Amino acid sequence: MVNEIFAKFHEVATSPRAQMDKYIAEGKKVVLTAPVYTPGEIIHSMGFVPMGAWGGDVQLDKAKEYCPAFLCSIAQSILELGMDGVYDGASALVIPSLCDTLKTLGQNWKYAVKGIPFIPMTYPQNRKPDYGVKFTRAGYERVIKDLEAIGGVFDNAALAESCKIYNKHNEVMRKVDEVIAKHPEVTAVQRSDVFKSAFFMSAEEHTALVEELIAELEKTPAGEADMGIVVSGILTDAPQLNEIFDEMGMHIVADDVAAQSRQYRTDVPCGDDALQAMAEKFKAMDNCSVLYDVEKKRVQLIADTAKARGAKGVVVVMTKFCDPEEFDYPIIKRVCEAAGIPVALVEVDRQMVQFEQIRTNLETFRDMLSM
Amino acid sequence: MYTLGIDIGSTTSKCVILKDGEEIVAKSIQLGGLGTDGPSAALAELWNASEIKESDIARTTVTGYGRMKFEGGDDEASELTCHALGGRLVYPGLRTVIDIGGQDAKVISLSEDGRMSNFVMNDKCAAGTGRFLDVMANILKMDVNDFGSCAAASTEEIAISSTCTVFAESEVISQLANGVKREDLVAGICTSVAVRVAALARRAGVKELVCMSGGVAKNEAVRRALEKSLDVDIAFDPLAQYFGAIGAARYSYNKLIKQQR
Repeated sequence: MVNEIFAKFHEVATSPRAQMDKYIAEGKKVVLTAPVYTPGEIIHSMGFVPMGAWGGDVQLDKAKEYCPAFLCSIAQSILELGMDGVYDGASALVIPSLCDTLKTLGQNWKYAVKGIPFIPMTYPQNRKPDYGVKFTRAGYERVIKDLEAIGGVFDNAALAESCKIYNKHNEVMRKVDEVIAKHPEVTAVQRSDVFKSAFFMSAEEHTALVEELIAELEKTPAGEADMGIVVSGILTDAPQLNEIFDEMGMHIVADDVAAQSRQYRTDVPCGDDALQAMAEKFKAMDNCSVLYDVEKKRVQLIADTAKARGAKGVVVVMTKFCDPEEFDYPIIKRVCEAAGIPVALVEVDRQMVQFEQIRTNLETFRDMLSM
Repeated sequence: MYTLGIDIGSTTSKCVILKDGEEIVAKSIQLGGLGTDGPSAALAELWNASEIKESDIARTTVTGYGRMKFEGGDDEASELTCHALGGRLVYPGLRTVIDIGGQDAKVISLSEDGRMSNFVMNDKCAAGTGRFLDVMANILKMDVNDFGSCAAASTEEIAISSTCTVFAESEVISQLANGVKREDLVAGICTSVAVRVAALARRAGVKELVCMSGGVAKNEAVRRALEKSLDVDIAFDPLAQYFGAIGAARYSYNKLIKQQR
């Protein structure tokens, strides 16, 4: 049974286009959500199916017309797939403004991909003060206005209901992370599928499937990983990368990955004004390289999580040319090593075909942790 | 007990047999690494030169870029692990290994008890690797093995400012066109490699005793430039190019001992 559930996650994670076609065939409208922290609750409440658009492992060709070579390959591959028609049929693409590359992506998208409207979600850098919350709310109102232009209908009660659905999804994702940590038989490839599939399924469907998985895993006794690791980064979905983790006997006991657990750390608070509650959620969010924080609290969280989950080391998976992550890396390394947790750094991008250097790196790290 | 280590690099293949994990009883090296007949030639040379037979080998570990493709080993291990093990066998007090190979550079930090405590790799760029020297030797129509003695005759080193190997190639051609002395140019090329690797080493943390391994270790000009840049003495052993294979043989030995316990 558990293998059948993992097979379903794998099927969805590896065939997003089929999922999109399915929703469109059901008469639903799909709105693409670019990284990171796109307000899925709002899109969902307005009658659309939000689907993650984090690019893909493709050769960059057409996108080079708009992007210099040193731009994050996630953003470049989103543009490439858009120009290639892979996202055709989607009703819009929402791009948040949380890093400089994402800001340029939206501007390029407007010219490069004519058939899919670009909706900006402009977040404030200072999200904690009252004026920051007001700014966030104004950003959401702009998203609502643009979604209304493509047929969406906004209703405060519907948003409150969607927030509950998304909070429930957050809860099960946090739970599955804890459960998988205690089940070393779950591979890194399977774990990646569980998280990646969340981008391509409705929150309700994904919640139900994850609950099934948790129930099945909890039927079997918990175990302890010989070599537990915490993985940190923006995106770690490359199948070859996860296969190497498995090959090296490394079990991911927790992650600090933007495309994985960082999404699910913060719930929308209760309140009569659901849109205000959404803005309050963004205010409460922390511990991410793209969320401004002079104190860099995320670094201590990584070290504390590694300790709490019994990880032997931290693997930082650096997406090439991701400035926010690169700024944090030296601090992560210093703090973790001071806490007695070794750190390895591997670099990935969306065009990667050769993983031998990563294999050598992780093989050496395995030896470092075990010899 | 004999264990065999095979190091299949990007440009050469090396084999070493260790007796009881300590004593080198046979070794061989052949040009040609991954994707060539270098590994089989190195093994053939090993068996020809040694009285030890293949059946005497208790365990074999393969390392280097070609380790995944080689059939016949019992284990495969990363070259960083093996260079650390091999270096520590030659220098018991070793704390830092600087390995400049044919296509990458690595720096490995060891704790006092010889365990790997940190490592960094330059794996995306030819600058700071043996490949950089090969490209420059090709332009200068020189044997890269003569770089050390040539650089020693330099009186006015020419700085190579380009980081990229391709741009540096153009820069060297321009300098040749300007009529600069070959010795001064070669000294600048060696310093260029050393400066890039020194930056890598500082990231890993440099603690003495420091040694160099890999093929570029033979280049005295690079060694001296590294010493100057890092302000430490860098030990060199004629076996430096074999450290990976020595470490691989030691890796096998350690595995056997662990199994026996």
